[in-house]
Amino acid sequence: MVYYIYDGSFEGLLTAIYEAYYRRETPEKILSSDNVQNSLFIKYVHINTDQEKAQRVYDAIVQKISPSAAKNALYAFLSEAQDAGTAIYRYLKLGWKMGKSVDLALAEPHVFRVHALRKKVSQEAGKMLGLVRFQLLKSGVYYAPIEPDFNILGIIAPHFKRRMPNQDWIIHDVKRKLAAFYSQGQYAIVPFEFKGALPLDDEEFDYQTLWKEYFQNIAIKSRINLRLQRQFMPVRYWKYLIETPGTQAKP
Amino acid sequence: MDLHTKLKILGAAAKYDVSCSSSGSSRRNRPGGLGNASLPGICHSWSDDGRCISLLKILFTNRCAFNCLYCVNRATADVPRATFTPDEVAQLTINFYKRNYIEGLFLSSAVYKNPNYTMELLITTVRKLRNEYHFNGYIHLKAIPGADPLLIAEAGKYVDRMSVNIELPSSQGLQLLAPQKNRDAIIKPMGFIHSKILQAREERKLYKNAPLFVPAGQTTQLIVGATPDNDLRILRLSESLYKRFSLKRVYYSAYVPVTQHPNLPAIASPPLMREHRLYQADWLLRFYGFKADELLDENQPLLDIEIDPKSAWALRNLHLFPVEVNRADYEMLLRVPGIGVRSAKRIIAARRYSSIDFETLKRFGVVLKRARHFITCRGKFYGERNINESALYQMLKPASTQQKAISSTGEQLTFSSLYPHVFQPEDVYTVITGEM
Repeated sequence: MVYYIYDGSFEGLLTAIYEAYYRRETPEKILSSDNVQNSLFIKYVHINTDQEKAQRVYDAIVQKISPSAAKNALYAFLSEAQDAGTAIYRYLKLGWKMGKSVDLALAEPHVFRVHALRKKVSQEAGKMLGLVRFQLLKSGVYYAPIEPDFNILGIIAPHFKRRMPNQDWIIHDVKRKLAAFYSQGQYAIVPFEFKGALPLDDEEFDYQTLWKEYFQNIAIKSRINLRLQRQFMPVRYWKYLIETPGTQAKP
Repeated sequence: MDLHTKLKILGAAAKYDVSCSSSGSSRRNRPGGLGNASLPGICHSWSDDGRCISLLKILFTNRCAFNCLYCVNRATADVPRATFTPDEVAQLTINFYKRNYIEGLFLSSAVYKNPNYTMELLITTVRKLRNEYHFNGYIHLKAIPGADPLLIAEAGKYVDRMSVNIELPSSQGLQLLAPQKNRDAIIKPMGFIHSKILQAREERKLYKNAPLFVPAGQTTQLIVGATPDNDLRILRLSESLYKRFSLKRVYYSAYVPVTQHPNLPAIASPPLMREHRLYQADWLLRFYGFKADELLDENQPLLDIEIDPKSAWALRNLHLFPVEVNRADYEMLLRVPGIGVRSAKRIIAARRYSSIDFETLKRFGVVLKRARHFITCRGKFYGERNINESALYQMLKPASTQQKAISSTGEQLTFSSLYPHVFQPEDVYTVITGEM
């Protein structure tokens, strides 16, 4: 059995798929270097990331399958699931055989898996569009820490670029130590770490209090339903909210 | 009065408005402006009652000239009163929006002095937001019943969605509980907004930059359980509203007892389950191709509280089932309990390439617990054999109520529970219910 190991980047994965095709082997699995466990009976092949090869594979996906297949593959990759690399490889391989109709062949387990991962990631990204909370810093920059399950920073940044083009903002993925910095029409995603207290602007406290009070007052007391609230907004997303959910009890 | 107190009073006063959605508009940001609208809408938080907070939902004022019995803000109620200024509303909206707390503004108001005066105040506020603060986020505005059509036409230019609350399902109900409102004053503006929306849509086909008018459409809301109107009447009303005015949504709000009056029913808690069933039926009307008269009739004018309206319909029409998932058309698949729009579409897409087996159905998100009684898969039936309508009814009930029924009565040992194989299902059922 052959396993391909790539460096954890999307380009790395695409390079591995390129190599699998041109070396005429079918690797059992394609794994990111972070989740490799050595086993005696498996041959590990390390793939060196090559931008050019990756680009060729990407173009082949867009042209020979469909642009939405490229999106599916990218989103599934961002899930960072252990089997994502293998599922994407099988999905694309089938795609090059079937063309764009591969996305309809949901009875194929790998196609379904890629779709399921894509859905999970885009659902979380969608949820995060609402749950990001900016805080105004003394420097006039709006700063928002997040801790999403998946690596969705690149998906949500364009939304905020369209929406808030005239304010400088930072969205910080604390868990992955990445941040999107935006200023004057452009954003960049770079490694970033920040610890310590935030230098908040003076008027920030006032608006935070207003929001907290509003949040408490908008609930109808005779309909309190904390379970439903948690279903929509799981507790793991509460950490960086300004408001404090789940504090009221039914009278 | 400071802003904190005002927001507390006017935020709390607005909470009985159900609508929170920010969907349906794709308004773009303009250079130098702030915000845009997202077509599917975005929820920003969920309050402790489990409802989503998408828009900053506030009343402009709660000083009301009307005295509707079911309302917290009625003229004779003893509650603290407050009024915003247009700038305060705009500042709050902008600053909450910049911090990504909200998707936009939901501005409603009590009838202050008279409907026209109130409507003008609301227009001043939204115009200020759009023109002075260059805000391009979502705005949902309540049209005040009885306001001049010209004012409504003016407001429609600035907002994404408008709504006129129909409040109660019948005009008798309105007379009883809200004597200052009448049906005409509510239906007329709806018709007016509808015609303006159609006009704007036609104009935009001809001219790309023709002005928008209420691009996200209109909605309405009615209170359930404050009057004796039955579910059939409510669903027929909704159906005709969807047909005549192409409403985006009808919101149902379970009556929350806020006051006591001989004309109001005395109930301990809001009829939440009834509200839930009405929403399910509403979805069946809009997305599943059902008609109100199929779901209910004069002999049975109330939705079953125990099981969902689609299962109830299927039980009454058992002669149509089981259907073969690999052959049934889309409309029929949608009518199978346990198959929704999403799974029906998946089935249609996937079966063009290969026939679907039972395992695949599970992965497609079909709720087999319900669906297995109504489908065959590759010709095989997976439900119970020799089953009748009443036994199936018991099986379709949610597990929690099944258990509740047992725990509340205690389990009565009967001959049939000790020797179940001796009895046919229908006999077991009559033993359980005591109806012979």
